[in-house]
Amino acid sequence: MKRATRLLTAMMTAAVMATSATAAMADGAKIFVIGGKADDPFWSKVKKGADDAGKVAELTGGSVTWLGPQNYDNLGPDAAKLIRTALSQKPSAIVGPDWVPEAMDDAFKEVVAAGVPLIIYNSGGMDAAKRLGAMNYVGNEEYAAGLGGGEYFGSHGAKNVLCVNTLPGSTNTEDRCKGIADAIAKSGGKSTQLPLPSSSFGNPTAVAEAIKAAVLKDNTLDGLITISAGDANSAANAISQASVGDKVKLASFDMDETGLQRIKDGTQMFSIDQQPYLQGYLAVSLLNGFVNYGLDLPTKPVLTGPGIVDAANVDATLAGAAAGAR
Amino acid sequence: MTSQAHDQPAVVATAPSAPHSSMPSLGSLVRRPEVGSLIGMVAVLVFFSIFGGANFMSAGGAASWLNVASELGIIALPVGLLMIAGHLDLSVGSMVPASSMTIAILSGHYDLPIIVGILAALGLGLAVGFINGVLVIRTKVPSFVVTLATLFALAGLTLGLSIILSGSTSVALKSGPIAKLVFGDYLGGKFQVTLFWWIAIVLIVGFILNFSRFGNWILAMGGDAVSARNAGIPTDRVTIALFMSSSLCAAFVGMSQAILYNSAQVAAGQSFIFNSIIAVVIGGVLLTGGYGSVVGIVLGTLTFAIVNQGIFYTGFDANWASLIIGVLLLAAVLMNNTFRTMALTYSPRTKTRAR
Repeated sequence: MKRATRLLTAMMTAAVMATSATAAMADGAKIFVIGGKADDPFWSKVKKGADDAGKVAELTGGSVTWLGPQNYDNLGPDAAKLIRTALSQKPSAIVGPDWVPEAMDDAFKEVVAAGVPLIIYNSGGMDAAKRLGAMNYVGNEEYAAGLGGGEYFGSHGAKNVLCVNTLPGSTNTEDRCKGIADAIAKSGGKSTQLPLPSSSFGNPTAVAEAIKAAVLKDNTLDGLITISAGDANSAANAISQASVGDKVKLASFDMDETGLQRIKDGTQMFSIDQQPYLQGYLAVSLLNGFVNYGLDLPTKPVLTGPGIVDAANVDATLAGAAAGAR
Repeated sequence: MTSQAHDQPAVVATAPSAPHSSMPSLGSLVRRPEVGSLIGMVAVLVFFSIFGGANFMSAGGAASWLNVASELGIIALPVGLLMIAGHLDLSVGSMVPASSMTIAILSGHYDLPIIVGILAALGLGLAVGFINGVLVIRTKVPSFVVTLATLFALAGLTLGLSIILSGSTSVALKSGPIAKLVFGDYLGGKFQVTLFWWIAIVLIVGFILNFSRFGNWILAMGGDAVSARNAGIPTDRVTIALFMSSSLCAAFVGMSQAILYNSAQVAAGQSFIFNSIIAVVIGGVLLTGGYGSVVGIVLGTLTFAIVNQGIFYTGFDANWASLIIGVLLLAAVLMNNTFRTMALTYSPRTKTRAR
């Protein structure tokens, strides 16, 4: 509804501009953004960023259009179709994530071949951007996010950190735990991984009790990080059951309201945030600047994470969450 | 299979009247159908107390598997009754998150009183169970298929409604001190209160199966549903009641987990489907129905929980956890079956000896 009205206003603005017929004031940047479902909690933040950046584009007669799949059942092919849909509408620029390179790379190459500026964001990393001939990559890199978390642990005195991985074998989560381990090794500590396959542990109590066992077994542990916000809720219970809250500091990748509340209450040290709002906002802003004024950042890739949320900035983060941007 | 199972209670029933009572205590002990489950449980307990070290035997270690067992056990008991009556309920896997999300959305997202969320979650359980029961009776489609369908339907409904109502797949829940104390707290900082709910449900189900008419009906239905109906047992009513109890218990676990973990996620609980069936089967209930006991189901649940959680007290690499769990479970079931066969062949042998 909201998007429809916005589209309508954009079209009307364009129509008004066209009738006023000043050659110099041609249409602004027509930017197409391919992303997740708009009702997905993560992607709704990315979309908010893209929409906010779109307001600047609208000021110069441009528009930002969000294209998302109906569901994630057939993600690669569906997203490739969305890229081609965007390309068929004669866009000034396209932003898209390289979720499934095998299925999507051909479509991205058509975009570049048609001379349309392209930015890869959210998934794929700078490697995908280089391979496809895209201008830049805006987003998170899991290994770098892990490094950021490991450095925070290291600088706060943690020497032995457990990385709880409930999706063992997945590249994303393995990279997160590896980043933690590598960064802690630099400050003279160590980090081990606790793999808990979700097929046998898709139950918060089973996860909590397994974490408790690991914490009780190794009494030199002083840090614990989970690969998702939901697992951190289980880990918090495990730590309080084992009565080691003053010794084992809890952290998590990503965050939810319960976790933010724990940071505020002091029972969790920090969360690693990939700042989805900035992914949408920066990608659209960069393309708008490039299309209109030929601007281009020398910084490649543009990393939106890791952002650290701890006691120092948790209040601002909670306010951002209430506004739908965090 | 079923006819074999039918022979056994008959053997157990006639055995005490047999004149050969040279060793009555040992004879009746080995003939108890639960003895295999008991020995299986003791074996895994000994295994992990050797490899698990001091922590496994501490109060915290015991709480580790008791907490997991209590939640699994609350679901496994009514699922066990269903299996004894010859049915399966796979929809518990979706019932758990559906109930968690119901209470979290009502009492967390919309800030309604916690009692509203609790009643709505449990009410949803009763409703889903009723639908399962009616579908099984009316369509005559095997309950495996019916509940597989409701498993998916309910999962989709939960996801769809959660997104529409709360815009999120994970909702936070703050419950008051009373709700926390009753449903989602730790006694002594270690033992979940669900443990006491489990004990209560064990007593209730034990009474139903062993001392009430209803219990006989369940066993009779599992043995032969047609004969049971011809004998005047209201099989439709019993079936619906059983499905309602398994969904209600799954809803109870989902609701108490949401209170315990202060949050609910759409994607949780699927592990309860197989784990409840595994616990029931380790407990000596036949997959084909008609045979099983409450003590057996409790022991089976404990065995599964010990194996599943004990692994983390040992020094074994956690990558191998699933393999070790699989091997130990198979060993426990085989031990169980061996003892059931022994119990079945025990009486004839003593008869030979007495002759």
